Amino acid sequence: MTRGLSWRNFDFILLGAIVLASSFGTAMIRSAVAGNEVLQPLITRQVYFALLGVVLIFLVGSVDYRYWLALYRPIYLGIMIFLVTLTGFGQSAFGAQRWFQVGVLFLQPTEFAKIVAIIILARYFEVVQYQPRDLKWVFGAVLWASGIILMILLQPNLSNVLLLSVILAVMLWVNGIQVKHVFSAVVIGAIALASLVALSVLGVRVPFLQAYQQERIVNFVVPDPNDTYGNRYNVRQALIAVGAGGVFGEGYGHGTQTQLRFLKVRHTDFIFAASSEEFGMIGGALIIVTLGIIVWRCIRAAQKARDVAGSMIAMGVATLIFFQAAVNIGMNLNVLPVSGLPLPFISYGGSGLTALMLGIGLVESVVMRHTQMEF
Amino acid sequence: MSTGSIPRPARFETWRLATIYIVVILSFTGLLMRLVNLQVFEESTWTAQAVDNYTFEVNVPAPRGIIYDRNGFILARNLASYNIVITPASLPDDASDIQSIYRELSDLIDVPVGGVVTDASLEEAKLFAACVPGPGIAQLVALQDTLAPYSPVKIKCNVSEDIARVVEENSVDWPGVSVDIEPIRDYPTGSLTASVVGFLGPIPALFEEEYRAKGFVPNRDKIGYAGVEDSLQDILAGRNGLRVVQIDVAGQELRNLEPPRPTVPGQNLYLTIDTRLQAAAEASLVQEINFWNTYFGTVRISSGVVIAMNPKTGEILAMVSYPSFENNRFARLIPAYYYEQLSQDSRNLLLNNAIAAEFPPGSVFKLSTATGAFNEKVVDLSTIVQAPGQLLLCEKFNPNDTCTDSNTRPFVDWIFEQNPEGFGQIDFQHCIAYSSNVCFYKLGGGFEDEIKQGLGIERLQQYARALGYDRRSGIQLKGEVDGLIPDPQWKRINTGENWSTGDTYIASVGQGYVLATPLQILMSGATIANRGKLMQPTIVREVTDGEGNPVELWFNSDPELFTVSQEQTPGSYQISPFTPNLKWDITVTPMIANYSCDGSVCSLDEDTLKIVDPATVEAVRGGTRLSVTDSRGTLNELFSSFPIAVAGKTGTAEYCDDVARKANRCNFGAWPTHSWTLAYAPYEDPEIIVIAFAYNGGEGASVAGPIVERVIKAYFELKAIDISQGSPTGGQ
Repeated sequence: MTRGLSWRNFDFILLGAIVLASSFGTAMIRSAVAGNEVLQPLITRQVYFALLGVVLIFLVGSVDYRYWLALYRPIYLGIMIFLVTLTGFGQSAFGAQRWFQVGVLFLQPTEFAKIVAIIILARYFEVVQYQPRDLKWVFGAVLWASGIILMILLQPNLSNVLLLSVILAVMLWVNGIQVKHVFSAVVIGAIALASLVALSVLGVRVPFLQAYQQERIVNFVVPDPNDTYGNRYNVRQALIAVGAGGVFGEGYGHGTQTQLRFLKVRHTDFIFAASSEEFGMIGGALIIVTLGIIVWRCIRAAQKARDVAGSMIAMGVATLIFFQAAVNIGMNLNVLPVSGLPLPFISYGGSGLTALMLGIGLVESVVMRHTQMEF
Repeated sequence: MSTGSIPRPARFETWRLATIYIVVILSFTGLLMRLVNLQVFEESTWTAQAVDNYTFEVNVPAPRGIIYDRNGFILARNLASYNIVITPASLPDDASDIQSIYRELSDLIDVPVGGVVTDASLEEAKLFAACVPGPGIAQLVALQDTLAPYSPVKIKCNVSEDIARVVEENSVDWPGVSVDIEPIRDYPTGSLTASVVGFLGPIPALFEEEYRAKGFVPNRDKIGYAGVEDSLQDILAGRNGLRVVQIDVAGQELRNLEPPRPTVPGQNLYLTIDTRLQAAAEASLVQEINFWNTYFGTVRISSGVVIAMNPKTGEILAMVSYPSFENNRFARLIPAYYYEQLSQDSRNLLLNNAIAAEFPPGSVFKLSTATGAFNEKVVDLSTIVQAPGQLLLCEKFNPNDTCTDSNTRPFVDWIFEQNPEGFGQIDFQHCIAYSSNVCFYKLGGGFEDEIKQGLGIERLQQYARALGYDRRSGIQLKGEVDGLIPDPQWKRINTGENWSTGDTYIASVGQGYVLATPLQILMSGATIANRGKLMQPTIVREVTDGEGNPVELWFNSDPELFTVSQEQTPGSYQISPFTPNLKWDITVTPMIANYSCDGSVCSLDEDTLKIVDPATVEAVRGGTRLSVTDSRGTLNELFSSFPIAVAGKTGTAEYCDDVARKANRCNFGAWPTHSWTLAYAPYEDPEIIVIAFAYNGGEGASVAGPIVERVIKAYFELKAIDISQGSPTGGQ
C-alpha cells in the first residue's frame, strides 16, 4: 500500500481549489437558507460532509487506485443492487425516487454510481488498450456503461444519463475512437436530439421522459412570454439575481433575490445565481475559475497517470466535474435548459459532495503514483 | 496489472487531448462572457426588475368625511362592515388544528369547510369573486396560500356584529382568523336627502388613471356620483396614505423603503340643510301630491320640488326633489336592476329637479316683467291699466305687418273662465297681486295707445337675468342647467323664425320659450324679497377638518373648473367658514343695459349699464304683499290669517312636453299646467323664502300654495322650538 506512495506528488493545488470551492459553497448555503428555520441544519450537515470529504481525499489518495479496479465485480454488483432496489421499490411505492433515507440523511446512490461507472470504464479501457479501435471495442465500452445508464434512465434521471454518456464519449475519444464512428454517432445523436425537441414541442410523449422534463425542453426552446409564475419563473428569477448582482455584488447576506426568497432552490440548483447576486461578477468568475482549475488539475493528472486506467479515472472525474459545472452554470445563466445537476463542491448535497470527494481522492491517488514512470 | 513495464509513450494522441482542453476553455469562457454581459452591461435592467420584485405599495384608505346638516344631524357617515378573513401564513402548522378551526368557524359563519382540497375544487373556487358565497374555507385559504399567504382572504363578508365579536373573542384559539372592518357609507336620512347628498359608486374605468394619480385604488375606493358626494368629492375623500414597503416572496412586509405618506382623512361637511325642515317640506309635498292624485283618482301630479332658503344669507334650508331614490341601496354596490329602474323613469329620479330640470315658470316670472316695466317707467304706481278678460292682439313678425283677422288671436287672462269681464281697472301693484295676464301682456308688449311702448323682449331679458334667470346659480351641486330667457336672435337661430309680437306677450307672463329651474325662480323671489340683494345660494355651511376645526375654503362654480381651493381665486366664493356671499345687488351693481330708440329702431347699449331703482324693488315687493292682503289676491286665501306677514307670487304654467304629448293632454286652449308658488316671510325683514313646484299640478295657489304655507309654518315652529331650547341661530 505504501509502495510508490509519494506525498510530494500530492496535488495540493487541486486540494486547495476543492477546499476553496466547498468553503465558499458552505458559506453561500448559509446565506441562501437564512431565514428558513427548516433548512438551518443543512449548513452544519454540509460542513460535516465537506470535512468528511477532505478526510476521504487523503484516505482514498493513500490507497492505490488499482485495488478498486481489482474489486470491480463486487463494486459493480453492489451499486447495481442499490440502483435496482431504488428503481423497483421506489417507483412502486412513491413514484420516481432517487434516494434512500438513512436517519436524517438522504443517500443518493446515483451520485456514487457515477464514480463506479468511471472505475468500471477505466478498467475496461485498461484491459482493451491494445485492441484495435473497431466497433467491437466501442460497443464493449457501451455495454459496460449501459447497465448503470439503464438503471438511471429507469429512475428516470435524464441529466445523469446524459452526464454518463458524455463521460463514456470522452473516454472513447481520448482512447482513439475512429473519427468515422464519431461522425455516425454525432449524426445519430443529432437526429435523436432533434426529434426529441420536436416531439416535445409538438406535445408528443416520449418514453423514458417525464412530462415535466419535456416541458422543460419546450420552455427552453419556446419560452412562453406570459408565463411569469409558471415554469419559467425560476430561471427568470435566477437571471434577475445574477444581473442585479453587478460587478461587486449586493454583499454577503444582502442579495434581495436570495434573502427575500424570490430565487427558488437557491441552496442547490440556483446557488450560482445566489452567489453571483451577493458577490457579483467577482464571485461568479471566481467560481468558474476555481472549477476550471479543478478540471485542469484532473486532466493534468490524466496526462501524468502511469497507466490507462489511471488516466481514465482522472479524465472521467474531470469530465464529471466539467459537465456538471457547465450545465448548472449554463442553466443559471439561461443558456441551457433546466436540469437537476448541482454545481460541484458548491451546491448543497451530502451524497453529491461525498461522491465528488471520492472522485478527487481517486485522482490524487492517480497523480501521487505517477512518479514510478519518472526514472 | 502488469502495465508498469510498458514504456511511457504519448498514451493519447495530443490533438485529441487538445480538443478536450479547447472544449473546456471555450465553455467556461462562454459562460464567463455571458456572466459579464448580464452583470456589467445589463445590470440596470435586471436591478430594476429585482427592485420591482420586492417593492410593494400599500395604499391605506383615508376615511371619508362625514356629512352633517346645519344642526349637526348626520346625513352621511361611515359604518363598519365586518368581514371574516383568514391569513394563511398565520394558521397553525398542524393540519388537524387547521381543520378544527375550519369546522368551528364553519358552524359560526355558515360557510362550508370545503373538505379535501383537490385541483378540481380549486379551479372551481377560482371562478368566484370575493365575498360571493360558494367555495369552502379550505379552498379559499389554499388559493390565497399560493398567491399571497401573508395577505388575508375574505371568507365571509358583512357578518353581524355579534359574529364579529365571537371571532374576535376566539382570536387566541384561532390563529390566522380575524375580523376585517370595511367602511360602508350609510345615509341615515336615505331618500329624504338623497338628491342633495348623493351616493357613492366605483371609479369608472374611463377615469381610472386620473384617480390612480390622485392616490385612489380602483375597485376599492369609491367616489361620489351625485349631490355633494360628487360635487365636493375632493374635500370629502381626503388623501389615501401610501407606504412603499419591501416584501419577500410570500408578501410579508419587511420594512418601509420610503418615508410613508400619512393618510389625510376626508374633511367633514356641514350642509345648510335643516333636516327637520327638509322632512316637513317633503311631507308637505307628498301629502299634497297624494291628496290630488287621490282626488282625481289617477297619478296626475308625478313629481315636485320644494326649496326653502334664507334670502339674507343664501343658505338653502331645504331642497326636496320628489320622487328621489334610496341611496342606501347603493352602499355596497350599485344594483343594476335598481339603477335601470331609476334611470329609465321619465321623471329622472337620479336628477335633482331643483337645479337640473327646466320648466316654464308661468306667472311667477311676472316679477321680472314687473321690475323691468316699473324701472323702465312703462308704468308707475298711479298708472291704471285696463284689464279685461282677454285681449285681441295681432301677431306681427315684422314691424310693418298689418293686423288682419287671420293674424289676430285672443290672449286670455286666467280669470276669463270665471269672469269674462276680467279684473277691470287695476293699478301696477294689483296687476301683481291678481297676477293679471292682460296687464302684463300690456306691460311687456305694449297695447295701442294705452301703453305705447311695452318693455320689449330685449329689456325683459336684462331684468330677468338681473333676478337670477338664464344663468347657473353657482351652487355647489353638479348638473345645474341654464334655463332660457329667449331673445329675437335666439329664436332666429333655433327656430328659423322672426320674433313676433305674440312671443313678447307670452314671454311677459313666463310662457312660451321661457324656461327656468326652480332654484332660479327662488332666486328671483329672493332678490325682490331681500330688496335687490341676491345672495349666492349655498348648500355648504361649513367644512371642518378631522379635529372639528373649520377650514378656509373657496369654491369656483365655473363648470369647467368646479373646484374647491384653499385660497381665493378669481370667480370663487368662500364656502367655509360660513360667510354670506352677495352675488349682486341690483340696486347698486349696474347690470341693466341702456335701451334707446332711434325712431322705430331700438337697441341695447351693453356698454352703459344702469342699476335698478330701489323704489322699483319696493313697488314690486308691495305687489307681492298685496297678493296676500288684497281679498282678491292670489295668496289671500292661504296667508291672510297667517300670524306672520307673508308675501309672494303664484304661477300656473302651461306646458306641453313629451310626457304630456304622449298622454294626449296637449290640447289648444286647455294646456296641462305646472303649479308654482313662491312666498317669503316676514314681509318687512324676510328670513325665509320658499318655492314649491308640482309637475302637472294645475293651479298654483291651490296645489303648490298649501305646500309653501306648510313649509313656512314649519319653519317658524322650528324656530320657536330652537329659541325655547336656547339655540336662537339653530333654526334659521
